[in-house]
Amino acid sequence: MNRISSAVAGGIAGTAVMTLMLLLLEVETRSAMDVFYVIALFVGTPEDPATGFALFVGAGIVAWPLLFIALEPYLPRGPDPAARGVVFAAVLWVPFVILGRGDIAGPLLIFYVAYTLFAHVAYGFTLGAVYGRLFDQLRQRGYR
Amino acid sequence: MFETIPGIAISAAVLLLLVAFFRLRGDAPAESVSDGGYVPARAGLTTHGKPTGLTRWLTTVDHKDIGLLYILFGTGAALWGATDAMMIRTELIVPETAIWGLETYNAVFTTHGFTMLFFFVTPVFTGIANYVLPMLLGADDLAFPRVNAIAFWLLPPSLLLVRGGLITEVAGKVLAVLPVPVGALLALEPVGVGWTMYTPLSTATANQQIDVALLGLHLSGIATTMAALNFIVTIFTERADDIGWNKLDIFSWNILVMSGLVIFAFPLLGSALVLLLLDRNFGTTFFAVEGGGPILWQHLFWFFGHPEVYILVLPAFGLTSFMLPKLVGRRLFGFRFIVYSTIAIGVLSFGVWAHHMFTTGMDPRMRASFMAISLAIAIPSAIKEFNWIATMWNGRLRLTAPLLCILGIMSTFVIGGITGVFLAAVPVDFVLHDTHYVVGHFHLIVVGVIPLSMVAASYYWFPIITGRMFNRRLAKAQALLLAVGTVFTFVPLLILGYLGMPRRYGVYPAEFTTLNQAASLGAFVLALSVVLWLVNMVQSARVGPVVEDADVWNLKETGQFTREWQWFEEQLEDRQAELSRGTDGSATSD
Ligand code: HEM
Ligand SMILES: [Cu+2]
Repeated sequence: MNRISSAVAGGIAGTAVMTLMLLLLEVETRSAMDVFYVIALFVGTPEDPATGFALFVGAGIVAWPLLFIALEPYLPRGPDPAARGVVFAAVLWVPFVILGRGDIAGPLLIFYVAYTLFAHVAYGFTLGAVYGRLFDQLRQRGYR
Repeated sequence: MFETIPGIAISAAVLLLLVAFFRLRGDAPAESVSDGGYVPARAGLTTHGKPTGLTRWLTTVDHKDIGLLYILFGTGAALWGATDAMMIRTELIVPETAIWGLETYNAVFTTHGFTMLFFFVTPVFTGIANYVLPMLLGADDLAFPRVNAIAFWLLPPSLLLVRGGLITEVAGKVLAVLPVPVGALLALEPVGVGWTMYTPLSTATANQQIDVALLGLHLSGIATTMAALNFIVTIFTERADDIGWNKLDIFSWNILVMSGLVIFAFPLLGSALVLLLLDRNFGTTFFAVEGGGPILWQHLFWFFGHPEVYILVLPAFGLTSFMLPKLVGRRLFGFRFIVYSTIAIGVLSFGVWAHHMFTTGMDPRMRASFMAISLAIAIPSAIKEFNWIATMWNGRLRLTAPLLCILGIMSTFVIGGITGVFLAAVPVDFVLHDTHYVVGHFHLIVVGVIPLSMVAASYYWFPIITGRMFNRRLAKAQALLLAVGTVFTFVPLLILGYLGMPRRYGVYPAEFTTLNQAASLGAFVLALSVVLWLVNMVQSARVGPVVEDADVWNLKETGQFTREWQWFEEQLEDRQAELSRGTDGSATSD
């Protein structure tokens, strides 16, 4: 596994964690939030949640991790890639929370904002931690 | 304007801009490493002679590993239950049903209670005891290591059973994204009858998930009882030769008494649960009006339920009494009286159950006697408080994170305990029963004492478990937020109760809005402090500074360098020797 596959592995782990957390949110709120609709709105396919979710997973596994390794050395809170992953995901969270909002309002909005931030942080942390661990192991064995 | 462009495109554009910006600036810093290049630290997590990876954690019978499993499981449950709590407080920000409707509100406070009491507090304390008890006793392991493992592994399935309605909903939701019918999966509704499961509501509600949850609770009771028996036998038979009963440390004493309560209380809960299952499914009439009546359930439940609240809190008292002397460099004041008061609480707690039932129309003479015993139980509780204060007298108070936690405990316990004394007075209880006052009373203890003692322990023993040090500044901020957040969340509930706001309602009259919003704000502070704790634990375990000197808390100078720290010191010496021989396979530094 090279640098890119390490990042993709991190993306898979991170996306799994985030999806699980969003599902938990969906269930806990008895669908008041309608997370799949939120995701579809964010991705730009509000009429088709299944496609929206597929794109979301694709981005989480491939696109964001690749961007992450391109950006990683410049992000604050290094040298730990997990901490940098958190910064990275916090940037991602801003458009998500604005554009996925739909017509969520009132107290539910507070819950939505806090919980989606938490889910993004978990994504970024897992992405960075798994990537850092796999990639570092390679480096210590002399691969580059 | 934003609405027309997909958010994913905006995110990508923002990030690409960032990449471009940094690339063009062209001052690329050095590459990153996950660990800052520290030596590997794995003091508590020794791996010698054990299988590695997943197999190790699935097959382990080592008390330290099982202790960690318990703690991880309990923490996961706590986070889940905390999500419920945040949902409750979010719903109550506005007087009308803002979000979920009343059915869901009922389900949420029920699952909150189940999860926190049975799957958070007891497992985490069992985990802490698992980890440190054998070390404190000078034993190799608990008396029955395999029973220990089985007791732990019963818990995950029981949690799934209790919260099963939610799990099937998850599955249903996932499949619902695809065009397939999922009606059957969504049929099991989460339980909404309250953690006390009062009949006739719990016998009359049709939802099949209630039966599943009762089985889950029964299973968790079996697990708890097995763990308790293991502790009792261990403390009786595995003590080192020089530890007589007079030398037994205070934490072990509390675990001993707690375990004693468990083996009398939990089998009773189990039997009551079976009776309830029979009533629901096989036409028996134990709790029907023509049989024992609803009041029979209340007697059986609270004969378990009151000892249960002390099962929850005694280990917290034990941790407090154990750590406080070490953190202030003094001996525990009145050690013997603390032991006696613990035993007294244990015995008395079986004699006060009916103070939860004052308003059910019992004979006034019964009410009076239960009132008397309930007031009496405040005495041993007060003894503990005064002895803690006396322990600090003339001590050297270094305001470390665990000591801040303990100061928080001592403050909230005063409010929580005294409000309990008021409730124990029959005329007062007539006014306040089933109001938010009760919720405030017990949460000042179950939040203000129990999690704070766990957090204090997590800081105090963190070096032993991970070989690293936590972030002290973050920890102090977190401890303060937790203590202050507790007061901010639950004191408004006391006032709301005085004003007459009943508990267990998702809607309330508008005049209660401000106090409810204050409580919700406090709850968000609590949530923040939980996140800070989590961040500190995870990050410090990964990349915290490696501990070189085992005397983290300066225990040697006051002669309190107890056995678990001596064990840690040996581990550190071993590690040092290993490093200097260079036999450690992984890189030692960068
Ligand atoms: C200082 C001694 C204490 C006294 C005199 C006391 C008294 C009471 C009384 C009379 C009630 C019933 C109120 C009502 O429902 O009308 C009550 C409820 C409760 N107490 Fe305490 N208490 C004490 C300590 C504790 C402790 C240490 C804990 C927890 C660890 C605790 C947890 C609870 C809980 C969970 C309830 C409510 C149960 C429910 O209805 O859901 N109490 N207490
Ligand atoms: Cu009680």
